[in-house]
Amino acid sequence: MACRIINERRHVGLQQLSSLAETGRTFLGPVKASKFVVDEERHDSVLVSSTVRLLESLDLSSAVGQLLHEAVRAQSNTHGTGASTLLFLVGAWSSAAEECLHLGVPTSLIVSVMSEGLDSCIEAVRSLQLPVHNVFDRVDNTETFSGLESSSGRLCPFLQIPSDAGLIQKAHELREVASQSGTADSLSGRPVKTAELFRTQAKAEAVKNPSPTPQTPRSGLRTDARCGQSVLAHSRHFTKMDRNEGPSQPSGFPERHGAAARPACGCDDLAALEAGLSHGDRGSMGLVGEALRLQRQPASLSHQGGRSPALAFDISRVCTCCLPGLPEAFSCVHPGYVTAVPVSRVALLQELQNQPLRVVLVEGDLTKSYRHLGFNKSANITTESTEVQQDSSGDLWTRRVVQVLIEFDVRLVLARGAVSEHLVEQCTHAKRLVIGQVSGAVIQAFAEASGAVQVTYVTQVTEDCVGSGVCVACWRSVPSGGDGAGRVAVMLETEGIHLVTVVLTGPVAAQMQSKEDRFWTCAYRLHCALKERKVLLGGGTAELLCLSHLHSLAGRPLNGGSLVCSGGLPHASSWLASARALYRPTVLKCLAGGWLRYLSALMCNAAGSASEFEARAFIQRHLQKAADSGSPSSYIFSEYDKLNSGIVNLDISNKPDQMPRVYDVVTPKIEAWRRALDLVLLVLQTDSEIITGRGHTQIKPQEAEGLLFL
Amino acid sequence: MARLEAKKPSLCKSEPLTSERVRATLSVLKGIVTSCYGPSGRLKQLHNGLGGSVCTTSQSSALLANLSVTHPILKILTTSVQNHVSCFSDCGLVTAILCCNLIENVQKTGLTPSSAIKLNKHLLNLCTTYLRSKDCGCLIPVNFDNTQILLCLVRSVLTSKPACMLTRKETDHISTLILRAFLLTIPENTEDHIILGKSIIVPLKGQRVIDSTVLPGILIQMSEVQLMKILPIKKSDSLKVALFHASLSGDLSDAGEGTLVVDYGVCLENAVLDQLLNLGRQLVSDHVDLVMCQKVIHPSLKQFLNMHRVIAIDRVGVALMEPLSKVTGTQPIGSLGSISPSSYGSVKDLRTAKFGFKSFFHLIPNEVTVCSLLLGNRNDTAWDELKLTCQTALHVLQLTIKEPCVLLGGGCTETHLAAYIRHKTFIERGSIPKDGGYTQTELQLITEAFCTALESVAGSLEHDGGEILTDMKYGHFWSVQADSPSVVNWPDLLSRCGCGLHNSQEELNWSFLRSTRHPFAPQTCLPHETLGSANNLTLDCFTAKLSGLQVAVETANLILDLSYVIEDKN
Repeated sequence: MACRIINERRHVGLQQLSSLAETGRTFLGPVKASKFVVDEERHDSVLVSSTVRLLESLDLSSAVGQLLHEAVRAQSNTHGTGASTLLFLVGAWSSAAEECLHLGVPTSLIVSVMSEGLDSCIEAVRSLQLPVHNVFDRVDNTETFSGLESSSGRLCPFLQIPSDAGLIQKAHELREVASQSGTADSLSGRPVKTAELFRTQAKAEAVKNPSPTPQTPRSGLRTDARCGQSVLAHSRHFTKMDRNEGPSQPSGFPERHGAAARPACGCDDLAALEAGLSHGDRGSMGLVGEALRLQRQPASLSHQGGRSPALAFDISRVCTCCLPGLPEAFSCVHPGYVTAVPVSRVALLQELQNQPLRVVLVEGDLTKSYRHLGFNKSANITTESTEVQQDSSGDLWTRRVVQVLIEFDVRLVLARGAVSEHLVEQCTHAKRLVIGQVSGAVIQAFAEASGAVQVTYVTQVTEDCVGSGVCVACWRSVPSGGDGAGRVAVMLETEGIHLVTVVLTGPVAAQMQSKEDRFWTCAYRLHCALKERKVLLGGGTAELLCLSHLHSLAGRPLNGGSLVCSGGLPHASSWLASARALYRPTVLKCLAGGWLRYLSALMCNAAGSASEFEARAFIQRHLQKAADSGSPSSYIFSEYDKLNSGIVNLDISNKPDQMPRVYDVVTPKIEAWRRALDLVLLVLQTDSEIITGRGHTQIKPQEAEGLLFL
Repeated sequence: MARLEAKKPSLCKSEPLTSERVRATLSVLKGIVTSCYGPSGRLKQLHNGLGGSVCTTSQSSALLANLSVTHPILKILTTSVQNHVSCFSDCGLVTAILCCNLIENVQKTGLTPSSAIKLNKHLLNLCTTYLRSKDCGCLIPVNFDNTQILLCLVRSVLTSKPACMLTRKETDHISTLILRAFLLTIPENTEDHIILGKSIIVPLKGQRVIDSTVLPGILIQMSEVQLMKILPIKKSDSLKVALFHASLSGDLSDAGEGTLVVDYGVCLENAVLDQLLNLGRQLVSDHVDLVMCQKVIHPSLKQFLNMHRVIAIDRVGVALMEPLSKVTGTQPIGSLGSISPSSYGSVKDLRTAKFGFKSFFHLIPNEVTVCSLLLGNRNDTAWDELKLTCQTALHVLQLTIKEPCVLLGGGCTETHLAAYIRHKTFIERGSIPKDGGYTQTELQLITEAFCTALESVAGSLEHDGGEILTDMKYGHFWSVQADSPSVVNWPDLLSRCGCGLHNSQEELNWSFLRSTRHPFAPQTCLPHETLGSANNLTLDCFTAKLSGLQVAVETANLILDLSYVIEDKN
């Protein structure tokens, strides 16, 4: 057993972290540069374009590398997005922590202040959240999917102004800025003429009585009395006139959206949400949106025009089918299940088409030797038999299976595991289609829709287990895979099935993986936004607020004993509690430095040409303005669209009035921040690495440097 | 062909402690345990260097389980600490640090082992007598009417393990959960003997800490597919339960050595399945509602049971068997033969629950003394550490219900105890027994060694280069920034003592812990008024600390007493 001290003056662990994290730099932001990972020994190479895949293909055998991989994996398993953010922040903050160490800040204080700083940032970022409302209620009447009310948060920046003495003045300033420029950028991305802005407000002003807001035809759909009321309550113009109502209203979500002076936009609201969450990947998000729409259909059917239960996107009932070789334009979304089968099945498929089929669902493999999980075969039992008999016993099993299928008139078998080749042949002869390697969610969906009960063995099949009403159709033939055999894509569908298949196609097989990953990232984002019913203003806005928040926090002195207690220091009795005030600004500035690096990397990646220096100067300028404005969050809120076009230039068209707003998911993002800081602090607090199980002899002399033995 | 090889002679080393290598390895071990100690302790990454999983920890149990020490002396030390930890969960590091320091300090005195051992025993005796006495100045009686002290105790355990990576809010949340889980294990109708139930920790890795929760009853993880297959549960007062620990998977029991030859046409698997179905028929005719199996249930049997509206849950796992059999009152069934009706038990209700991505069966027993603590944490390493910590905290609470008192934590007990021992031997220096076998000088030397060792345990709490002070009234622990100006206004510089009981405005005198001082009598008997007002104390488990003290001194004595190490090299 050996032990290595890892933080004498320079912290090796933190250095490892930041150098590992540097590899993922180009994956940050909407414009991702792919990488080749080359294995020099085996001359293999993999094309990676996401953090998760990168770390999978890197050899991270060091302890720190493993922890990093574990953190990234946990993030992507839980949230499906945010891994690149996590990786980059790990790098940025481990450099920040190292800098603190260089400046002589005690480790425990770095831990406590950084942790406090991030907590405070997360609190601050709450003000940038926008609600996503349940507008699926209206689906049945309007047949359109309007998803997001957040564009209605146009006047939100004004609501963010704290109700202190400076409120009126600040409001005036903001208005002056607006009138000087001649146009006020609405938050929805459309510059609106000032006159128009005021006109709509004047209209609303006229409607003193809480009634449907008349700005646009679409918002006329709203019959909610609350909306009208909050229009009055939350516009700064009305608070002037209607003072007793104004301050009494909390500026929480439900009211905030009501301040709608929403311009009529060409796209419906769900589309705006999708565009905002696509982060530049419109193709994938288009498929996601299509999948969501298809998923809503059976639900609205089964609810018979009643209210749909929840605003949700059930990604467990979405599956992907990758068909490399087809042109990109063939990517599409189908209800039901799509998979590729060998071309030799075409004749059978054609015969089975256009008729409802009876189906059996098998939980495991469909082979003679398969036994359920947990069954231990005794090795030392042999059956007294001759060779001939053994051969026929295989046949016997196949015949038995086919016989069962015929007996119950089953035309389709879906198995979760592998299917024996021989059985497939026999079934094809008997005009029965067997498909193996079907995922559990798909099997479950067919079980629900067709009434079939999953079985482990075909011998278990009874009349109750057989489902019915499945339709099979050939979709199109697919160019041969690697093995040369042609394949054909087949669609399986049954009425009311709660399953959507996304067919991903592309001419380059090497890109399929990243295509699929990108689809799932978008799907997770939309899923999460709809589940949480809120989104964060994206495109670096949240990070900018964190940055400016930390700067103002660092400038503010600790006030008295209250903060010593709430500082998160494990024991307030230590001298560290009193030394905290001294080191706090330093640590907070280092933490803010991490955000600055994040933002400038984001800008450089997105803009391509911009140098890091330019990016930093741009950010610093806005930071200064935000600080001068007195309320950074309202400044950032109001400057959101302008900032967005500066920080992350997503739109290819580059026309500012067509720029979609950018949104981020809330919990995955915040969890990624937390995980990143947690990992850094975990490594920061580690002072030695203990290698277990290897004696003196097994460690190579060049490794043994700096090792202590027990 | 047998081959004979000459045996190697055994290796015998005398006075093992004097060897330079042993001293070096002891000091490495001491460095490891010392640097781990306390809320700001440094963490250790344990891994096998070959890409195995990485464990980041500062807990003695995880640390020592993975340390593979080679020298017999180190083995004695680690084994006795591990023994202590397995019995008391807490105070492992204290034991190890104290033991290492005591060995080192005693060696420095240059006394013969025999008199050092005798004196160590004497001093240990003084300590335990004092700690158990009524007027002990670092002991707080626990009143179970008030949860404040218990919460402080739990919080102290949690904050002393930094690798859990909890924020303050999360610490409060988990502390409350642990206390609630503990209270749920106390039976409602208590007679003479209280038999505590069990808290089962259910992993929710990857979920947020704040999402952790505690539920009465037992949770059994299930795949969602399996959960959906379960039929709606028929409502009745209680469900009749059968619990199997035998596998119902239909495989053949191991036939032993040799080969079993079976006639063609005979299918053993079918024979076993028939037997299983017979069993199923009996279960149905006995009106069992719920069948649970530690291992796997054959799919055909499951299908049969489901057809007869019996719920079958398999792969429960060995860890849940004991609590399951306890709360349902079942006798786990071990054979496929006929079942005696007395082995059936019952549960009140069965529900399903979903947390994060995981689905569970939630079994609610008639009398709840078992609860499930669902724990989440952001990454695996931190989760493992949190789980261990929660187990420690639950164990500490159990120990506290047996001996309802707690010791002051944060180093105050150690410094106070050292002050007490110094003072005690100082005033009793004249009355040394004639046949005691030691002189006054020896007593003085060993007392100094013993007390310094105790104080160095307290001093190990400091990892960022601070200085330790002690006050001359209570003998508590105070920490201050290093190289503070020599003439300072101490009350302004200090805030509270280590345990949080006293604050610096109480007109105290301080001196550096490492400087020599005149022995003083620390105030015994805790002031009750300060006790009532203080609500944020750092506390330690009395039983665990006392045992740690004893184990440390006795192990040190054992190691000091070693004169030969004989190794069999074959």
